[in-house]
Amino acid sequence: MTLTVLTYPFIFIAVFFEVFLLVTFLSEPARERRSRSRATHTPAVAIIVPCWNEENTIQGTVDSLLALDYPKDKLQIVLVDDGSTDNTAAVMDSYIGDPQITVIHKENGGKHTAMNLGIEKAATAEFVGCLDADSYVAPDALREIIAYFDDPKVAAVTAAMSVWDPKTWLERMQNADYIHGITLRHVISSLNGLYVTPGPFSFYRRDIILDVGGFQEGYKTEDLEMALRLQNAGYILENAPRARVYTKTPRSVRALVKQRTRWTTGFLRNALYDYRHMIGSPKYGTLGLLMLPLGLIANVSGIIMFGVLIWKLGSSIWDKIALISGFPLSYSLVPHHGFSWFFLPISFVTLAAVIMLVGAVTTMLIGKHISKTPSDLFVGIVLYLIFYGFIAPLWLIRSMYDLLTGARRAWR
Amino acid sequence: MRYILYMNSLLGRNVLISLIITALLIGTVVYAINYLNAQRVQQLSDLQTQLATDTLSVETQFALLESAPCEDLADGNIVSQEVSDLGDRLSVAESQLGTTNKQVIQLKQQYTLLQIRDYILTQRLAQTCGIKPTVVLYFYSNTPGSCADCDRASYALSYLHNLNPDLRVYSFDYNLDLGALDTLKAVEKIQPKFPAFVINGKRSYGFTTLDDFETLFPKNFFATSTASTTATSSKKK
Repeated sequence: MTLTVLTYPFIFIAVFFEVFLLVTFLSEPARERRSRSRATHTPAVAIIVPCWNEENTIQGTVDSLLALDYPKDKLQIVLVDDGSTDNTAAVMDSYIGDPQITVIHKENGGKHTAMNLGIEKAATAEFVGCLDADSYVAPDALREIIAYFDDPKVAAVTAAMSVWDPKTWLERMQNADYIHGITLRHVISSLNGLYVTPGPFSFYRRDIILDVGGFQEGYKTEDLEMALRLQNAGYILENAPRARVYTKTPRSVRALVKQRTRWTTGFLRNALYDYRHMIGSPKYGTLGLLMLPLGLIANVSGIIMFGVLIWKLGSSIWDKIALISGFPLSYSLVPHHGFSWFFLPISFVTLAAVIMLVGAVTTMLIGKHISKTPSDLFVGIVLYLIFYGFIAPLWLIRSMYDLLTGARRAWR
Repeated sequence: MRYILYMNSLLGRNVLISLIITALLIGTVVYAINYLNAQRVQQLSDLQTQLATDTLSVETQFALLESAPCEDLADGNIVSQEVSDLGDRLSVAESQLGTTNKQVIQLKQQYTLLQIRDYILTQRLAQTCGIKPTVVLYFYSNTPGSCADCDRASYALSYLHNLNPDLRVYSFDYNLDLGALDTLKAVEKIQPKFPAFVINGKRSYGFTTLDDFETLFPKNFFATSTASTTATSSKKK
């Protein structure tokens, strides 16, 4: 009982956040954003593809960019090979001669250096975008993005990410998570609360990026650091919920935990070290008052709730094993009283969990609906509900460990 | 600056609305839990009525014992089947409502009384009609830390009763505040060491393994079972 009480404040916060998402989704700023049409004007745009050892996916990425519905003379594609050691350079070189494409090879220096070099080369572009070399865009995605740059204070626009061709259980689970993120970004952007401009197809106003000093290493989360720096400088970050981009995701739990540990540790280090002054400050609006504090609380609560869950589950299984050991399984595994609601383990935590799950599923369905993402979501949602709560704490715990010990990990 | 103020006012409005809705949702959950517990108590009240009837039935059988032929009494179900899962329900009610809930305590007292009356009747039937029932008096404690093996002992008695329904098990919460139970404890000389058993008149304490426990019962008692049923349950009540 005592341990369970620890989870009550976090349950309240989790339910509150789900409700907040739905309330804000229905509010006027979000509705206005959903009603926006694709851009008809076509300013000069450059898309930078920073690339390190992506020989298997780079061709698909570039081909999807070439298929964008955008005037070819307004769209420049800059492929930056950041010192790849596989066949990536050769695949990139096969595009030399295409008037839209610029190919650059450089020594390995990290994604932020590749981005900065690409921005430098895209001198004529009003807007510069980034597309990771394992991602593919829908043909209308760029026009969707440009429509959100009308306000000159908008420094960046993010896209609607989902998983490319999810097949395995892990990819399907991540797809549900990404589609949850579509709603989250759409809703939070309507109150200018975004704290990350992800690698897959985020766009920036080039002169603003140069003004704030270009990309930095940002604890291996240069996209998150850039978003915080832009918010810190008073700019607006938007989201285009119908600008679909599909990305490849880790195919093993180990790789997923490694990737998410990098993201989470990057968030914690940026928020707590370099942008601590934004936490709780009304000057930074939704980001300072809500998203950064809740982001930090979510990390702590995820670990505590997982600990309580494992403790409760573990002790209950242990007690059951201790109880039935020495008795025939033919007796132990058969229920000895008929079904009755009287015996259902209905408690505050179980009912609150149902509310949170309904909220999460609703958010996912909204994400799929507003982005018009075509993939089947049902299996992904089921897998998400079963496994995510057990896997996510692994990277939360690892991130907290890295934060406290100062451990640094490789990108991959 | 105006933009920030506008955004903060929107944020404040949405946060306020969300807090109100969240409070209503959490309030509804709390209400639902209380409602369910009230329904559980209601079910227990229904069983309470059944208990009263059963107690009266036992009393009547006591009266009839003086004149009725043994064969008309010995095979009858002394306690009704409907009450047989009261122990399970009382355990759930105890965990949901707490061990100090008045209604739960009252029910446990009534059930304990019924069991004691039934036990006495069984003893008298045995003497009058010359039958030899296998009877277990089982004393447990719900006080935290006082009985590590009580759950396993309860489980073993349920299993053995399932193996041979002729086994009559009477379970008592040693710490229940009830005069009749205190007298029974004194008569049977039960020490506060748990779990405690009186099996066919022989006292024993502690539970180790099922095999060891079975040796306390008459030889071959669990080798065969009959179709007859008793309503007693070995679960903690």
